[in-house]
Amino acid sequence: MRYRCVECGNEWEDRGWLSTCSRCGQKVTGVSSFFRGPEHPEKLIQVLLSLQREKGWLSPETLKEVSRKLGVPLSRIYQVATFYKAFSLVPRGRHLLRVCMGTACQIRGSPAILERLRQLLGVEPGQVTADGKFTLETVNCLGCCAMGPVMMVDDQYFGRLKLPQLEKILGSYG
Amino acid sequence: MGEGMRERLRGPEELERWRERLRRERDPSALLFTVNVRSACGLAAGSEEVAKRLEEEVEGRGLAGRIVRTGCNGFCEKEPVVTVYPDETFYVGVRSEDVPELVEGVEKGKVVDRLLYQDPVTGQRIRKASDLPFYRHQQKLLLSLNGRIDPTRIEDYIAEGGYRALAKALFELTPEQVLEEVKRSGLRGRGGGGFPTGRKWETTRKAPGEPKYVIVNCDEGDPGAFMDRSLMEGNPHSVLEGLIIGAYAIGSHQGFIYVREEYPLAVENIGIAIEQARECGLLGEDILGSGFDFEVEVHRGAGAFVSGESSALMTAIEGRVGEPRPKYIHTAVKGIHDKPSCLNNVETWANVPLIILNGAEWFRKIGTEGSPGTKIFSLVGKVNNTGLVEVPMGITLRKIIFEIGGGIKGGKRFKAVQTGGPSGGVIPEQYLDTPVDFDELTKLGSMMGSGGMIVMDEDTCMVDVARFFIHFLLEESCGKCIPCREGLRVLDRILTDLCLGKGKEEDLKTIEEICEAMAEASLCALGTTAVNPVLTTMRYFGEEYEAHLKGRCPAKVCKALTAYFINPDKCQGCLVCFKNCPTGAIQGEREMVHVIEQEKCIKCGICYAVCPFGAVEKLSPPVAPPATYGIKAKKEVRK
Ligand code: FES
Repeated sequence: MRYRCVECGNEWEDRGWLSTCSRCGQKVTGVSSFFRGPEHPEKLIQVLLSLQREKGWLSPETLKEVSRKLGVPLSRIYQVATFYKAFSLVPRGRHLLRVCMGTACQIRGSPAILERLRQLLGVEPGQVTADGKFTLETVNCLGCCAMGPVMMVDDQYFGRLKLPQLEKILGSYG
Repeated sequence: MGEGMRERLRGPEELERWRERLRRERDPSALLFTVNVRSACGLAAGSEEVAKRLEEEVEGRGLAGRIVRTGCNGFCEKEPVVTVYPDETFYVGVRSEDVPELVEGVEKGKVVDRLLYQDPVTGQRIRKASDLPFYRHQQKLLLSLNGRIDPTRIEDYIAEGGYRALAKALFELTPEQVLEEVKRSGLRGRGGGGFPTGRKWETTRKAPGEPKYVIVNCDEGDPGAFMDRSLMEGNPHSVLEGLIIGAYAIGSHQGFIYVREEYPLAVENIGIAIEQARECGLLGEDILGSGFDFEVEVHRGAGAFVSGESSALMTAIEGRVGEPRPKYIHTAVKGIHDKPSCLNNVETWANVPLIILNGAEWFRKIGTEGSPGTKIFSLVGKVNNTGLVEVPMGITLRKIIFEIGGGIKGGKRFKAVQTGGPSGGVIPEQYLDTPVDFDELTKLGSMMGSGGMIVMDEDTCMVDVARFFIHFLLEESCGKCIPCREGLRVLDRILTDLCLGKGKEEDLKTIEEICEAMAEASLCALGTTAVNPVLTTMRYFGEEYEAHLKGRCPAKVCKALTAYFINPDKCQGCLVCFKNCPTGAIQGEREMVHVIEQEKCIKCGICYAVCPFGAVEKLSPPVAPPATYGIKAKKEVRK
């Protein structure tokens, strides 16, 4: 699949990951504007991941577009999109809050963290807050097990969480 | 440093010449700071701010010092960590506010004592990393470069001897000889079962069909394990080099690196490594002018535990739903697109360059007879020094947990250690002196797995731990086969009931029956090994199951079986718990003994966590509070 940088128009062949444009260094995270040339159905998961990153969720329109461009039947796209955890078929809040419920975090008190977040946000895991600010999700491990309990807000990690801290962290997000 | 455009290397001599140049340009006596920025946990600890501040400070003072952003050096407990070379002063828990003092110290040739690691036992400050008890018992082979090099610069890896093994394999050995060497080394797969790596390679090499594929498994779905992430982030070239050597031995020209999407930094760093290796002619067509071609692609996993299973992972690479398939045909023979495919985990591949460079004999001398080499463990949970630990196989659990790990947090009692993730089991105190290798752990009903080691203290409920793993696997099971899908569902229900105090006498027998069926009849390892956490907790902590049947949770973890009370003798009437209680279950006034209204209490434990006087107590089984608990009394404030 070919990609084109949104900044400088540089084009390059995808080698399976998306990093930075080799000419201008612009960080490339989404691919919707980069659909080009002969498409590989094999890249389905990679394309969906990139779109998910860019848009925050996968709308029916997005999935239809992917189906058309990759030549993969819509049914298979739904099969894949519903199987993997990373994909959300409903819109997400402005910020994604991922609480680790992995073993290491569990033992260091993540259930209480989750409980507190549920109260503070008034939603269950998987739901968006009424003001559209946060989506609360649980994950199985963020790979920072030594810092447990851990949560991530968007791309920011918070380790060694303590209950009284949570309100302040949430408050710092607009 | 010889930066700028990288040139394509046309042979082993050019590689050596470049390496010499890089080494010459690097003055060993020059001032150098390393900060562990290129790792997710380093970032979580705020290492980037420290690195930025260091840069400002070093520039501001006009010092000729270089700042290298390295990967994780293992000591997660004390991050961010800054090491100052050439004298290797090791500063721990550095905040950006500490940086000016640190740099001033360097300028004046003084050590900032307060930032050195303090031994909790002797109270002594220790200046060098190698003198820390945490590092002293380790043997770092795979992790040795992790905290020293910048993973985004191939020059750093080359200067340290990188790609020398590849050159040796391509120019001095035939593919058969490489294969033979790996076989003789006795290296076993570090991802789980411990299958001999060389034998796996041979199967793929001999299997009919072209093309052949090689794959790095960096899915690492095991919660509590992060060694693959750290290697991939901190030293991606070592994995890549191992992969290319393996491809050469197997006769493969296309590889995949499967990295889970939750590890964005690992994805980025391996991407950069691939790009740079290609620029230098170490990857792609005609590698180092040897005539050997090899291409590699990164595949980001979209989050599904079962994708770590080899056949499932391969279908995911094909862009499909990652479901496993029956094992009667090995993926080594029919894998991606039904072609021979050899999959090994990150750590396994990273071992390969070491073996090729130093020889099978050298490797066999490390570790045990049946499991040679070192193993990286992620030591987490209720242990003082959490982090990544690389030790020779055969070291005892006690040594890892008590000497390297510094014992149990908060002076609590050790209860068990869980190894091998959801496929492993718990190991109780009486086996602490077991030497750790593939076979010994299996004997105890657990396994090595990828190397997660979760230490549990007296505050951990073993029934709850079993429930946790079963629930985890229930959510992760692909649902294709009935023993796994339905077995997990029933186990989950029974264990949840037990934790709710609704267990029945016959439940324990049912659990055993289901476990037997699942271990026997599940399609893939997810189902067959799922029973390990349950069986081992039952075997070693049977009395806890019995207690739950009677409505008691000895560790006071299961909410339904515990209650919170405020001890009037300890309560100082400070209102902290009152203010923090989310449901208004606490009645209190300043300097009056507070009381928890049991009907309103949701047992979130916040009061327990915030009380500065330890006045909130957990009880199991819930007993009626003594009458005095309900009386509000004026307290004298103790001075
Ligand atoms: S278990 Fe929470 S980050 Fe790994």
